Amino acid sequence: MLTIKNLHASVEGTPILKGINLEIKPGEVHAVMGPNGSGKSTLAQVLVGHEAFEVTEGEILFDGQNLLELEVEERALAGLFLAFQYPVEIPGVSNLQFLRTALNTLRKHHGQDELDAPSFMKLAKEKAKQVDLSPDFLKRGVNEGFSGGEKKRNEIMQMLMMEPRLGILDETDSGLDIDALKTIANGVNTLRADDRSFLVVTHYQRLLNHIVPDVVHVLANGQIIKTGDKQLAMELEEHGYGWLGINEAEAAG
Amino acid sequence: MTLAHKTPLTPLDDAFTPEGGKQLPAPLKSLRDIRSKAITGMALPNRRTENWKYSSRYLKLDPELAPQTQATGDADYRSVEGVYRLVIRNGLVDLESSALPTGDGIDIRRFADLDDVTAQSVARKLDTTLDHGTTQLAALNTARLEDGVLIRLSADTSVDQPVYIQYVTDAGASGSNYPRVMVEAGQGSKMTLVEEYISNGDQPVLVDSVSELLLDDSANITYIRLCMDPANVRHIGATGVKVGANARFDSHCIGFGGDLRRHDLQVRLEGQGGYARLNGIALTQDRQHYDNHTAIDHVVPNCDSDENYRCLAADRSHAIFNGRIHIHPDAQQSHADMNNKNLLLSTNAEIDTKPELEIYADDVTCAHGATVGQLDEGSLFYLTSRGIDRDTAATMLSMAFVHELVGQVPLEDIREAVNTRLTDFIEASFRRAAE
Repeated sequence: MLTIKNLHASVEGTPILKGINLEIKPGEVHAVMGPNGSGKSTLAQVLVGHEAFEVTEGEILFDGQNLLELEVEERALAGLFLAFQYPVEIPGVSNLQFLRTALNTLRKHHGQDELDAPSFMKLAKEKAKQVDLSPDFLKRGVNEGFSGGEKKRNEIMQMLMMEPRLGILDETDSGLDIDALKTIANGVNTLRADDRSFLVVTHYQRLLNHIVPDVVHVLANGQIIKTGDKQLAMELEEHGYGWLGINEAEAAG
Repeated sequence: MTLAHKTPLTPLDDAFTPEGGKQLPAPLKSLRDIRSKAITGMALPNRRTENWKYSSRYLKLDPELAPQTQATGDADYRSVEGVYRLVIRNGLVDLESSALPTGDGIDIRRFADLDDVTAQSVARKLDTTLDHGTTQLAALNTARLEDGVLIRLSADTSVDQPVYIQYVTDAGASGSNYPRVMVEAGQGSKMTLVEEYISNGDQPVLVDSVSELLLDDSANITYIRLCMDPANVRHIGATGVKVGANARFDSHCIGFGGDLRRHDLQVRLEGQGGYARLNGIALTQDRQHYDNHTAIDHVVPNCDSDENYRCLAADRSHAIFNGRIHIHPDAQQSHADMNNKNLLLSTNAEIDTKPELEIYADDVTCAHGATVGQLDEGSLFYLTSRGIDRDTAATMLSMAFVHELVGQVPLEDIREAVNTRLTDFIEASFRRAAE
């Protein structure tokens, strides 16, 4: 589904990713772990096309398409979804308006009829319930005044609505208590399917107790230095990144 | 001063001061003649005229604009439900197309139909709400009076539906018109007044409109002004308001740019406990121009005012906000808050904002703020990362910028219509820029 070959990316001339190779097959959940500053979030942002990052070398194929040639919105329509680490607040645009526009754009792209207001509301309420988000949030501005946890739930709720081909979670677990973590993991797990994959970017192993990965990669200094199964995550939890010879302070720059 | 000679003065062409006003009662005809004589050959504002600094070059009062606009076909009256309708077409009252209230307490009359005593009283009050030094073109309106409308509310009358004035300008041929409205709201009366300017045709036309509202003690007037006529209409408008004791004036002035758009809104708080809220939205695109000048005079103690104007300028357009607050020496315990936020949607657009505070009392609170910004890239990225195209995302964020003010428009139908028209206007601009 996703093939990353020798990916190099930099921000304002500073190289961050230095030759990433990664292959995600349909139905797989991959975890990318690594210390702060290793390039985990950059990888997530590059995949969805954030302008701040310049791809200097390598290629990304998504379902055979050259992802780097697609605009941000085209990538989303192709089936990529990033659950942001720090979702922005957009006062004045209601969650409802935002979600409905996004969902109907996607439906139109797939040749489906747009959802009318009542059907949309029904669906949105159902998905909000799945992540324990009160329907009142739908009327508020996008993420406006949401707590950290509410923002994360809102990201997962959007993912449940959009049903992407590849869901990318960027440190979705950070700042969550255990109950919220479970709720969010449940939300993600309900989406798991043979033709849907996930890339879970996280610093800690605890999320992976609930979203069990097929493959775990360790990213350090812009490269994948080790790949294994879920056992690798547990070992990292036990021994820390130093175990792999990574100096965390140095990696963080 | 030798400098003055560097900008040659352009006199008002005589074509703009023809004979007329034959329908008017004698006192109003007499006022017309006085104004007409006074402005014959007057120097038009130029770029050295402070309050016309940015707009005078669009004024261009060519003789072809002088004739009264004429009906050139069926007027396209947008139907509005649940309102009393008053149609003013090419500056003339069209009673046949209007649906006026019939109940007690509200009286709507053409100037032409006033008896001499009432006409005398109106003539004394006309032009008294505006500062003539800063509304030079309002005098041209009085000098070109053909008709006008007097709306009177007797004490404690609460008008059950909004009074909706549709100003129609036929632009099949070049010309100008001079609509005039006077509102006298008696003690404790209440009304929502909507003014909408519409036009058909594509020839250059000028609308020089003046509305004056006198709010007696405890009167409550909500004023919605929709200046969304097409770009070929040059519009110079002035609204003058006097607010009595414990009276309340809320305004929502919303408009699109054009070859020239100018609105002067002048509010005088003349009775203690008076309140004024001035909300405004101006959108410009292409090479359009919109110039909002507001003035709030706190004349007596214990009055409050809140002002909130937002401008969005796209393409090569130009938006101006000039907000003056004048706290008179006696006006202790005044509270005035003025806010102007602006959004530049293109690097070639220009926005000029100027707060002017003149405070002559010492026990007052007076706050003002002005900002100019651009669309937030982080928000654009977030929206597009969900599959929403960039133009739609930019439109959503632009509308978010005025969301709060649109949300304060009190009538749902109008609020919805405003929302749709603003959205379409902005979206068209982004689509065109992308092509």
